Amino acid sequence: MLQVARLLMDTSVLEFYPTIFVLVTEVMDMLGDLVWERIKQKAEFTEDETRVCTLSENFGASDICFDAKETCNNWFCKVGSVRELLPRIYLELAILPCWRFLHDRPEECLQRVVMMTRGLADPLASSYCRLYMVHCARKLPACDTGYLITCINDIKVLLMRTISTTESPYAYLTDNKKLLVSLMEPTIEYLIKCILNDASQRQLGKILVELGIGKTQLELSGSSPCISIILHHLLKELPTEVVVSNSMEIFDVIRYTNDHSFDQCLNYRLLGFKLSESRSQMEIVNAVVDKVIQVVTEYDRLEDYLTVLDAYMDTILQNQMDDYLNSMLEGIVDRACKKKIVEDELASLQSIMVKLISYFRELGDLFSLNHFLEILDVMYGGSRNVVNMHILSMAMRNGYVCDQTIVKLLFEVSRSLHDGMDLANMKDDESQLPSRLIIRFIQLVDYGEEMEQHLNFLVECRGIFGNLSDLKETLVHSSNALVTKALKGGKNRLSFVKSCVAFSEVTVPSISAHIRQLNLYLETAEVALLGGLVSHADGLIASAMSCLQSLQLEDVGSQIHMEIDGILSSIRKLCSLLVVVPGCIPDQGATNILKGVLSIIHSLSWMTPRMKTRIHCSLVLLSAALSQNKLPYHLHHSEVLGNDMLFFGDTSYASELISFSEPILRYLVDAIDQEPLQTNRGSMALEACNCIASSFKINDDLLMVCYKLIDTAKSCLSVNDKFLQSTIKFLDKRLPPPSPIQVN
Amino acid sequence: MATVELKPSRSNRIYRPSSEPFDGKIVISSPSSISHYGIRLSINGSVNMQVRGGSAGVIESLYGVVKPITIVNKSVEIKSSGKIAPGRMEIPFSVALRQCGEESMERFYETFHGSNISIQYLVTVDILRGYLHKSLSTTMEFIIQSDKAELLNRTVSPEIVIFYITQDTQRHPLLPELRSGGFRVTGKMSTQCCLSDPISGELTVEASAVPIRSIDIHLLRVESILLGEKIVTETSLIQSTQIADGDVCRNMTLPIYVILPRLLTCPTALAGPFSIEFKVTVVINFESKLSKVQSKFDPTTPRLWLAMESLPLELVRTK
Repeated sequence: MLQVARLLMDTSVLEFYPTIFVLVTEVMDMLGDLVWERIKQKAEFTEDETRVCTLSENFGASDICFDAKETCNNWFCKVGSVRELLPRIYLELAILPCWRFLHDRPEECLQRVVMMTRGLADPLASSYCRLYMVHCARKLPACDTGYLITCINDIKVLLMRTISTTESPYAYLTDNKKLLVSLMEPTIEYLIKCILNDASQRQLGKILVELGIGKTQLELSGSSPCISIILHHLLKELPTEVVVSNSMEIFDVIRYTNDHSFDQCLNYRLLGFKLSESRSQMEIVNAVVDKVIQVVTEYDRLEDYLTVLDAYMDTILQNQMDDYLNSMLEGIVDRACKKKIVEDELASLQSIMVKLISYFRELGDLFSLNHFLEILDVMYGGSRNVVNMHILSMAMRNGYVCDQTIVKLLFEVSRSLHDGMDLANMKDDESQLPSRLIIRFIQLVDYGEEMEQHLNFLVECRGIFGNLSDLKETLVHSSNALVTKALKGGKNRLSFVKSCVAFSEVTVPSISAHIRQLNLYLETAEVALLGGLVSHADGLIASAMSCLQSLQLEDVGSQIHMEIDGILSSIRKLCSLLVVVPGCIPDQGATNILKGVLSIIHSLSWMTPRMKTRIHCSLVLLSAALSQNKLPYHLHHSEVLGNDMLFFGDTSYASELISFSEPILRYLVDAIDQEPLQTNRGSMALEACNCIASSFKINDDLLMVCYKLIDTAKSCLSVNDKFLQSTIKFLDKRLPPPSPIQVN
Repeated sequence: MATVELKPSRSNRIYRPSSEPFDGKIVISSPSSISHYGIRLSINGSVNMQVRGGSAGVIESLYGVVKPITIVNKSVEIKSSGKIAPGRMEIPFSVALRQCGEESMERFYETFHGSNISIQYLVTVDILRGYLHKSLSTTMEFIIQSDKAELLNRTVSPEIVIFYITQDTQRHPLLPELRSGGFRVTGKMSTQCCLSDPISGELTVEASAVPIRSIDIHLLRVESILLGEKIVTETSLIQSTQIADGDVCRNMTLPIYVILPRLLTCPTALAGPFSIEFKVTVVINFESKLSKVQSKFDPTTPRLWLAMESLPLELVRTK
């Protein structure tokens, strides 16, 4: 045991000390438990192991028999005969609870051990020894915190000496004071935690006085009342209300406590955080903030300045101390402009800026703060991005951005955010946040009636944020939205519409995904049609179709199956658009585009039967719609005529449509047969049947086809299927007067 | 083979001469029956003195043993001749150590084992078995502590000595830096101490230019024997207790707390032919290159880098 405890006498390798401490104290605890159990057994049992009594939790020394006391005494004698101080203290601490067998007031023994520990001159060994003391003292039933306060005060004296002496018998101390202090820190932290643990308000005051905190300014001046590191942990553990109500006194203590054990700034900072945590009286807060600002204005280093102010930011903002805010921002600019800002300073600066941003409701107020933009300009790197993102998300909160200057500023912010983005690492969600914010910003920009300016803005955006594919999509959407807005305005803005469509037309090809291109082309084509730009629309539809064609070339892979529904709905959308596209190019025939679509569909090898069925159905419906004398819907434009007007009564047009749809029927039936899943096949057959029945006048041939489809459906689905029944009903209604044809 | 054992009534074997009888059991276990001529219990206490080393010269050490002083020597028959049945047998006994009215030659000094003086009490059981058989016997030491009746009259006087140690109180040569730099250590300590209590006091380093390496409290035993007309004194270190490890903070009070080793101490005894006394030495060990070179040295001998102060210590038995 002794050998183990002696290990702790060696503090030559500072870094190992805590580890050794843990190992040694584990063994010590084990010893303590064994001795305790042994003596307890002696007290409860006779030599021949019959139980005499059972000791209650709060037994007294008088309950213990002579023999057990003898054994216990022997242990203390044994420990007392150890020459070296440190192992003797550790061993006595290990069996400290055993004093209960001998005395009714074991705390007195603890008090003596506290004093004995003063004999350990090595700061590290001594502070860890006290740590073990606290650990052991907690096993005693009742113990006030007086001994802990003595411990802290003793450590204080030790530290003061360590820090102030330049020459020390311990060579390592001079080199490694910082390391030493950092190793001692946990012990101090724990001691203070134990002191303040469930201390009542009244006790707190007493504790503060005993630790030398609650003194008046007069008493303080000249002497250093505390050690920064102890003060720091004390502040950290004290309840906020206590700190706040004593904040002036604490400020004074901090001011007079300036040593190398801990950075004074950080104590000011902690005080600031504590102040901001509670709503307190204005006068106190004002006075403290005033004093702190006075102190920090004398700081030369930006880092210290920021560290302290960061903590007071919330208080300053919440209490609307605008004067302080201005002088503070000015102070930052003064110091920041002297030299380049380093990493640590950036972090504090970031925190200050974010606090500012989240405090203000209106962007305008924020931007009009003195020096705000200057400070933003001196920032760089990740911190700048964070601040930029905060500004953007704040701008988003208030909906549309109409103010031109703010748009300009936000544009600059977005630009710097974009420049700071790591384009190589755009995969994960977090790194996409900035680009989403920029997109959101562009969506929310509103120039009102100044649509040309808006378009210019979009053009500018395309130039700057050209790398972001998603963003270009937004640009196209925005420009299309502009067109509809312009058209709704009612004035003749043909040239503006043209330039918008042209903008979209140019922008779309640079977007990487074909499916997106396809959708955007369709959207733009629709807009172009709305604007009466038929030739543009034709061109756009052609581009859309070539997109569709190239879908096969590149994107076939696992992801295409995920998007299959999307593609399907895009194609259907194309079909519905084609209803209103005037097919007026005489030499190519009216159904030219339809045929184009059909051939593309056939060339796409990855199409599933279900998709094919649906597309073919759409085509059937489309041709049926086109063959009506009055189209179901028209463009709201006086100059663009629909096909119903162009080909009214033209028989060749009708026959062309019929000859177009005939083969489709065949393909349709084939496609259904290819579907491997039975239930799918059934519902597809019914879908097709419905489509055919509603599109054509039923003749016998068609009826055959329909019945065949019904049969297929019957073979695949249950007879009770609602869809099947309603389809059969529908078919019956569509039939010409009852015919004698029997179908088996 | 028959065995005989002595089982005193107390496990710690501590007895007081006047108030309490020495009692216990004799345990005999034997596979066969034994006939005997009587079972006797004898008690023997004596002070044995030996001159060895110390301040004794060559001639004195040749004398060697000084005639021992007998304190008690009595023999009691526990059982008259008879037969012991086979198996285990317990015979209780009780002997008054000092009988009222009995003229005792010497005081019952407390049991003590020193280097030159030893005070020992032995109890012996003999089972006499005639000439044909070897007699069975066993011997055991028991411990004598002073009578309670005697102790009640005495209380420990709260006598406290205040001491101070500076470069000027030292009678041996010191390192020049110690002389020039100076130091001052003050303290107080009780000089009369109850054996069951620790030595207590306190000590403060008020100033020291040279860093301190260690401060120790040495407990010393002084045994003196009257040899002819000379007194031969032997001082030996019985326990060292460190109270400061390293260059402790100035003006911080350190406790002196030394638990007395039970087996190496007894009440201070001043008899005619011999005396047993104790003292305490506070030794301040200063940092110096010399001390590092000579790592092993007798801590009580004055050295250049040591400062010391000796205080008398009277140990008494109370309760």
